[in-house]
Amino acid sequence: MDPITFSIIRHRLYRVIDEAVITLKHVSGSAITNEGHDLMVSLYRADGSLLMGGVGFLHHLTSAAEACKSIIRRFEGRVNEGDVFLTNCPYTAALHTSDVYLVAPIHYDGKLVAWSACFVHVYDIGAMVPGGFSPDSRDIFTEGFSSPGLKLVDQGEMNHDIMDTILNMVRAPEMVALDLSSMIAANNVARERTAALVHKYGPEAVDQACQMLVDQSEESFRERLQELPDGRWESRQYFDIEEETYCVLLAMTKKDDTLHFDFTGSSEQSKYGINCAYWATWGGFFAPLFPLLCYDITWNDGVLRPISMTAPEGTIVNCTRPAPISLATVGAIQSVNNAACTCISKMLSASEKYAKEATAIWHGSHFAIFMFGQNQKGQEAIGIMTETFGGAGGGRSFADGVDVGGEIPNPIGRMANVETTENHFPVRYLFRRATGDSGGPGEYRGGTGLEYAIQQHDAPDGGIHYVISGKGTKFSMSEGLGGGYPGAPCNYRWIHNNEAAAAGKNVNPFAISTDQMTGEQQSVSWGVYPLMDQDVLYVRSDGGGGYGDPLARAPDKLARDVRQGNVSEGVARNVYGVVLDAAGEADVAASEAARAAIRATRLNQEAAE
Amino acid sequence: MSTRISASLVVNEKSEIACMSCGHTLGPSGKPWKDAARLSETPLEGAAGKPYSNAANALLRRFYCPGCATILDSETALAGDPFLNDVVHI
Repeated sequence: MDPITFSIIRHRLYRVIDEAVITLKHVSGSAITNEGHDLMVSLYRADGSLLMGGVGFLHHLTSAAEACKSIIRRFEGRVNEGDVFLTNCPYTAALHTSDVYLVAPIHYDGKLVAWSACFVHVYDIGAMVPGGFSPDSRDIFTEGFSSPGLKLVDQGEMNHDIMDTILNMVRAPEMVALDLSSMIAANNVARERTAALVHKYGPEAVDQACQMLVDQSEESFRERLQELPDGRWESRQYFDIEEETYCVLLAMTKKDDTLHFDFTGSSEQSKYGINCAYWATWGGFFAPLFPLLCYDITWNDGVLRPISMTAPEGTIVNCTRPAPISLATVGAIQSVNNAACTCISKMLSASEKYAKEATAIWHGSHFAIFMFGQNQKGQEAIGIMTETFGGAGGGRSFADGVDVGGEIPNPIGRMANVETTENHFPVRYLFRRATGDSGGPGEYRGGTGLEYAIQQHDAPDGGIHYVISGKGTKFSMSEGLGGGYPGAPCNYRWIHNNEAAAAGKNVNPFAISTDQMTGEQQSVSWGVYPLMDQDVLYVRSDGGGGYGDPLARAPDKLARDVRQGNVSEGVARNVYGVVLDAAGEADVAASEAARAAIRATRLNQEAAE
Repeated sequence: MSTRISASLVVNEKSEIACMSCGHTLGPSGKPWKDAARLSETPLEGAAGKPYSNAANALLRRFYCPGCATILDSETALAGDPFLNDVVHI
């Protein structure tokens, strides 16, 4: 095939996905999809293997391939033009029940030529708790509707029995219907545009181009791996749920043009729904691998071929049914993301050519808060606080992490503005801002996380409830790199202003910091809680990991950090060894003395042996 | 001619792992090197300001070059955890 035709077909496939994503967002009505971009659309070959990975949460690219393959097996001989299939079973392919896959065959001239697949986190799935995150579930049977495979649309005709059954099992069915409609629309666009591409260039030419595309990715990726040194890198992620501590342990081995991810030593599966199943772990390390190692390579099955994984059965990275799994995406999967980010970045750091691609961890904990209740318009409002996608960038070898800079597994994620959230939920923000001293110190510091506080406002029921599935409160999950410190942990507090008011204390309704709040401050991190009347929910996300030794950070950058509130003067002095003068500029002589003192202290430490 | 093996370490012409900043050696290439470093192991709580104040039980390990005191690597751990060892084959 001539290279120009190949290139045109390749780019047309990219555009097919882009247009399908736009369609999905135009139809969907939920903030988690439109603001958080908790979505994905990709194209797959006729056998279900990944052809062209799209944007959104990247750990879905490979899991949706398994969804396509499972549908091919289950519906053998019954896959027809115009069909749309649904699966959301985590033990089949999905990450958790809330992330519903709709996959659709693409036919041309009566022959199956490809698949499109997409997902959104649906508005509700009928779990114990509205929104799908179900911290009190102890098995998958209480985590909502779950199907290994249904034919939702049969040759272009909606199967209303199935649709009505699903909608009968969820809260806010009109919103769930919109979610499912948005994915049907996205698949329709992907099917029509792909079929038009095949019509223009012919099925043989497109098939040849697709095969070349996969082979090209494999060849390019293996070449890249050959450029990197052989070795073995380790990473460890701790996280806390209630009084329990869990560990995701990863050893990544690179040999020649292959890469192996070994999760041996990770914790046994949990009674809480933070577990993830095999395909979720498989997808979990691809989420950082695609952008860090394959930023210029098409994300498809060719990238998967040089890679293998060990994930011991019965652990939090390969749990067995019926273990609960509803919080997998903000639980073990994210720790897999993080651990892989660290190991891959360590490998990149060992290469002169690729060291600049390495990064400390971005946004190690999702600090997810789901709200539910009647809003000021009398509607049933369910949804995530999209600050969970705000994130914090990790430091790199040439630049600081981006403040509130998002996350690697979802490069297009973002958070809604305050007004959007206040319009949807009966709450008002007391403040939302970047948090000083949250970015991990380093020559290039981690990006700052954020903090916010909300109070109910105009709620018909006197308030609203929230589901908190926090982790990373006792451990920092955004590890540093190359000597950089980890980012600061998360923090969640329930401020009991109602009790304070009842006791006759003055409660400031316009407090702009927790120091100005009167009520007792209770740490919370897991479960369902009320947000009533004058009580306040305070949330602080984690910062990004730092890169390199903080003593190597340029003093003038510290002066700027302090001026902008990103680093306190005390941390500048005690951790970075930079002393500021009365004008707020770095005092060079005093800073040199401070740094010399810190180095002397370091050298007085015992040998590690 | 030295070869980079991490953000802070190289392997020198004698096949020894060495600090990228000062050249201080930390053992043979292809072997774990952290035992040869100076170690600071302190609670993560309060490690770098107020936002670290709720990091109970977690430890922050910093491995320093015995020659120039540069931090060569850091890791979080629980007490008694083995070091995270990275091995690069040159």
